[in-house]
Amino acid sequence: MNHMQHLTEDELVAHAYAEDETESVQQHLERCAECATAYAAVRSDLDEMEFAAVPMRDELHGKRVWESIADRLPEYEAPKRRWFPGRMPGGLWGGLAVGACAGLLVFGFVAGRLWERKQGQPAQTIAGNPVQQKPPVAHPQERVVVVVLSDHLDRTERLLMELKHADTGNAETVSPLRDEARTLLVANRICRKNTKQDDDPDLAAALDRLDPLLAALASQPASLDSAGIARLQEEMNSDRLLFEVRVLRSRQAASTAQKKDGRI
Amino acid sequence: MSGMDKSDHAAIRAVLSGDKKAYEALVVRHTARLFRVAFRITGNEADAEDVVQETFLQAYRKLDGFEQRSDFGTWIYRIAVHCALKNIGGSRLDESSRVAEQSNPELDEIQVADRVAGPDRLLLSSEIGTMQAFAMHSLTPVERAAFVLRHVEDCSCEEIGTALQIAPNAAKQAVFRAVHKLRLRLAVLRMKV
Repeated sequence: MNHMQHLTEDELVAHAYAEDETESVQQHLERCAECATAYAAVRSDLDEMEFAAVPMRDELHGKRVWESIADRLPEYEAPKRRWFPGRMPGGLWGGLAVGACAGLLVFGFVAGRLWERKQGQPAQTIAGNPVQQKPPVAHPQERVVVVVLSDHLDRTERLLMELKHADTGNAETVSPLRDEARTLLVANRICRKNTKQDDDPDLAAALDRLDPLLAALASQPASLDSAGIARLQEEMNSDRLLFEVRVLRSRQAASTAQKKDGRI
Repeated sequence: MSGMDKSDHAAIRAVLSGDKKAYEALVVRHTARLFRVAFRITGNEADAEDVVQETFLQAYRKLDGFEQRSDFGTWIYRIAVHCALKNIGGSRLDESSRVAEQSNPELDEIQVADRVAGPDRLLLSSEIGTMQAFAMHSLTPVERAAFVLRHVEDCSCEEIGTALQIAPNAAKQAVFRAVHKLRLRLAVLRMKV
């Protein structure tokens, strides 16, 4: 900026207001008398521009303003209470949502299990037996075993018949007997339990006597010889048991037929 | 954040929660500053009072959009400037009393409405304040507001631009034009006196 290129009024005003403060303007003013005079005039005019003093207001001015507008202000509605703070990071919301879903799944699973246990069928049932009318209490962890008394008596009769005529010299015939005895031992205990509850003394007594025989047979080694079988037959009085089982079977068949007739 | 800001923000939260009375604290706290700038822009007590009331009414209606990170004093100050600008821009009173803008002040006689103050009265008056008041009427509302904010309120051009909702450079140009006009008017008035 040289002497020939004088400062404009806007530049002088800007300099006076400290806008666009540049060293070149100040240097020019120091060297250029004409611009310095013009700048002094600008400063003088600006300094003279004094505005009328703002009218005084007392301390209650603000209060009066409030009273003049208070009636015109509608009341904001209080925000509805939220379950959780409104301003949370989006990630936290997502985490909470996932957690809530997971919680619901766990709750649903547990509730379903409990409902199943409560509503589920008895774990052990003896079909065709009056005992079955009472809902047996089954432990939830037990296997569900449905035992039909008539079937149990049939199978027991067959086992006792095979035991009576067992070929003691052939191990292959003994092993199936032992396996069948093990299965029948479990079924027999279920039957005993339910029969006692139903107060059928004849059936209960027969099943009680059958239990040691089945237990002994189930615990026999695979190499059961003729002497061992004879001992079992003698000790357990298997012939008498066979007779009792046959009687019970007949009675059970008659009872079932009677029920069918009654229903018809 | 200053203590006043915290106090302002607490009052705003209370208002938005349904406690209208909490707004009173904000009105009492900021009235003096708003009245001052309103009076300087309008140049009239009654208009300044109207501007202050309108400012608080507008601010209340916009309160739910107020950013809690902002300074309430700055925010409502801008609203007040805008209301004052609207006041002087929409006032038809100016048409009868202001110096005609289209005239060339360097060549023409000063045109002032007789009812308010005629040239004869001005000639009799040596009070610079009276001359300035009439000189101010030669400015457009934006120039007048920009000049007041820069010259009296010591606002930067950026702040003026924000308050007047114009670009900072436009605000600066408005200040330059205002100063130019005022200097010319005052020079002529001085010659008359």
